[in-house]
Amino acid sequence: MVLVSAARDYINRMLQDISGMKVLILDSYTISIVSVVYSQSELLQKEVFLVELVESISMSRESMSHLKAVCFLRPISENIQHLRRQLASPRFGEYHLFFSNILKDTQIHILADSDEQEIVQQLQEFYADFVAVDPYHFTLNIQSNHTYMLPAVVDPSNWQHLCDRVVDGIAAVFLALKRRPIIRYQSKSDIAKRVAHETAKLMYQQESGLFDFRRTEVSPLLLVIDRRDDPVTPLLNQWTYQAMVHELIGIQDNKVDLRNMGKFSKDQQEVVLSSEQDSFFKSNMYENFGDIGMNIKHLVDEFQQISKSNQNIQTIEDMAKFVDNYPEYRQMHGNVSKHVTLVTEMSKIVEERKLMLVSQTEQELACNGGEVTAFEAVKNLLDNENLSEIDRLRLVMLYALRYEKEKPVNLMNLCNKLASQSAKYKPGLVQFLLKQAGVDKRSGDLFGNRDLLNIARNMARGLKGVENVYTQHQPFLFQTMENIVKGRLKDTEYPYVGNHFQQGRPQDVVIFIVGGTTYEESRSVALQNASNSGTRFILGGSVVLNSKRFLKDLEEAQRITRSSPSVI
Amino acid sequence: MATRNQTYQFRKRRDALKSVRAPLSSSASGSGGPVIEMVSASLLGSNRNRSAYAPLSTEDPGPSSRDAFTVGLPPAWVDYSDEIAANIQQARIKMSELVKAHARSLMPSFGDGNEEQHTIEALTREITELLRRSEKRLQKFPANGSSEDSNVRKNVQRSLATDLQNLSMDLRRKQSTYLKSLRQQNEGNDGADLEMNLNGSRSQLEDDEFGDLGFNEQQLSRLRNSEQFTVEREREIKQVVQSFNELAQIMKDLSVLVIDQGTIVDRIDYNIQNVATAVEEGFKQLQKAEKTQKEGGMVRCATILVIMCFVMLVLLVLKEILL
Repeated sequence: MVLVSAARDYINRMLQDISGMKVLILDSYTISIVSVVYSQSELLQKEVFLVELVESISMSRESMSHLKAVCFLRPISENIQHLRRQLASPRFGEYHLFFSNILKDTQIHILADSDEQEIVQQLQEFYADFVAVDPYHFTLNIQSNHTYMLPAVVDPSNWQHLCDRVVDGIAAVFLALKRRPIIRYQSKSDIAKRVAHETAKLMYQQESGLFDFRRTEVSPLLLVIDRRDDPVTPLLNQWTYQAMVHELIGIQDNKVDLRNMGKFSKDQQEVVLSSEQDSFFKSNMYENFGDIGMNIKHLVDEFQQISKSNQNIQTIEDMAKFVDNYPEYRQMHGNVSKHVTLVTEMSKIVEERKLMLVSQTEQELACNGGEVTAFEAVKNLLDNENLSEIDRLRLVMLYALRYEKEKPVNLMNLCNKLASQSAKYKPGLVQFLLKQAGVDKRSGDLFGNRDLLNIARNMARGLKGVENVYTQHQPFLFQTMENIVKGRLKDTEYPYVGNHFQQGRPQDVVIFIVGGTTYEESRSVALQNASNSGTRFILGGSVVLNSKRFLKDLEEAQRITRSSPSVI
Repeated sequence: MATRNQTYQFRKRRDALKSVRAPLSSSASGSGGPVIEMVSASLLGSNRNRSAYAPLSTEDPGPSSRDAFTVGLPPAWVDYSDEIAANIQQARIKMSELVKAHARSLMPSFGDGNEEQHTIEALTREITELLRRSEKRLQKFPANGSSEDSNVRKNVQRSLATDLQNLSMDLRRKQSTYLKSLRQQNEGNDGADLEMNLNGSRSQLEDDEFGDLGFNEQQLSRLRNSEQFTVEREREIKQVVQSFNELAQIMKDLSVLVIDQGTIVDRIDYNIQNVATAVEEGFKQLQKAEKTQKEGGMVRCATILVIMCFVMLVLLVLKEILL
């Protein structure tokens, strides 16, 4: 609830003191921020009768001075320029400006200079600079996410831009929570180190007044880690509802776009999957595919019963009851159709791409299993005609990540096989992945095969057998969270910034993954929070990944690296 | 949650610049005529009044940018929406009175309770009338105006429709509870009547020796009373049911306008996307229409016909002259 309610509170406060008809002006970032937590009908209740993007308000000459403009924008130079133009020839009666992050003095001066007609009534900073997709999961929707894989020298301005955006997002989260954390970062990652240090500088030096909140006994913890420490999780196929929809179809800002998937009726072309608004989704978002099927069947049965009783109208009382319940009936109808459509589509995709077969091998590669069987399985699957290219690539990558040191010859065989089979495969991609996220670059024990304790644990798990072979993988983040709760996070792997030190166990932890999070990890976090261990975790990332996005970032980074002269 | 108010810094800078700007503009505005400029001395107050005043001057105020900023009158449909909002408010007040009247009429009383019935009937009728009038007015919102104005108008319509629908559902719920309690009471009364009748008949049997006429009369009057009572109750129930149906009709009409919560239509980003594509589509259609109109076959035909008419006329005249 925390992140969603913080964002909603900010928006409520923006709108509450201004009376009369309002227009809400947003930019392309804040529209995502607002849309995931606030609905159109709620805006209408607050008398906001028009929503516009800041880039298009100057296009119309029409003056609507009976409306008051509430602008909620990110403090970037394009927005300042748009506002300047707007203030010079204003269309609305009053302007109330809210920015989602800290303004620079020069920006305030520019705005003041252009406000000749004195129509700006207030200028405030409301720190809702993150997209709260779930109660404990936020993202920043950064377009140029692939930059994190490149060394800083290749593209210094984009790299700095990424760091700045990440720091802004993290700062906004802590300002919204009104806390100032102790910061730790992953030692082997340059970008994590940079982000951690810059955040510390912002919070403790540059804007120390702003961040000077009431100190609690135990400070909260900010942990900045790198996606490349766990490259396995984004490559795996998923079988729990929310993660599966994102992996097979794609969720953006809690919306699912089905238009490319075939012909649907108008109201099912784009659907909303939000745990706040859909109670069925809330109770099923972390369940696996088999259980979801059953639950949907129950939902459909319930619905059919209600509609049958609706058709059986005999007395006036029945009529009255029907008319009373019609809005809920209609909503239930929409909801049931939505879930049935999604599950049907996903079943179709699973069937087409033979994902059951593929995923079994994937899980074995990720969790346990011997090398010989794995090699055989991957080779056979590569020979299988029905597999799509992305699935083949993923299998080889998982094999590479697991067995890169043990059997390099086998790996080369597989890569050659892959290259010969698909024309679209970019040669060297697997090697590039290993260079980025190979065993030397990772700090944690991703596969549990480095120290004896982990090996023993794995063997025990293998002997015990797993409940569900498709969901046996647990993201590395789970181990990290466990270590934090038990106070066992190693200083060498995750050093502190400056001279901070954590006394005892933190009660609030924000984990930021530079490079992106996955829904499997946010599920882990939600389950951990539900287990009442005394520590509350919040997860954030630069984007929300699925395998397609992760591979796209990898390819883009490889392309830039190849074409850049400054890389050795 | 933390916020920071930068308004003070902003105003400081703005006022500092204004004092630099003001002497410049007054020197540039030329000769003669006092130009009364609305220079805001205080930080607050005058900002609110700004929109109400226009600069008074005998001469052109020169390069001042004030002319661009005229007093904005809201479009005409805002009056309609204000009227509907006022109706809704009134309906709410009347509904709370209705609830009280319901409660009063259900209490056991000595009198006939006719005035209560009248008040209830009157109130229900008024509320239904208000809702119906508002709904009709809502449907009649003008459809013209620029695209942006129409967006605002549509959103205002939606929000009023939601309010109206909630109000009508509320009214129906209250009516149905009242109806239910009425029915229960009715049966109770019938039961009581029955009891009375039974007692009456028993007493009749007992007092039969005393003579028939008197008791028969008493019985008859009791019967007549209970009959009247039931007839009245039936009338009430019929009226309530009628207003039920009216409200159901209103709700059906309104449900077209109301947004379903939780669907894609309720998302802000979806609505903005749609506006953009709709405006683009509209523009394209306009262009197409213009083109077809220009090359229009109809226009060509009409011109040809007119020309032919003239030619024929000329021929006719020539014929007359030559012959």
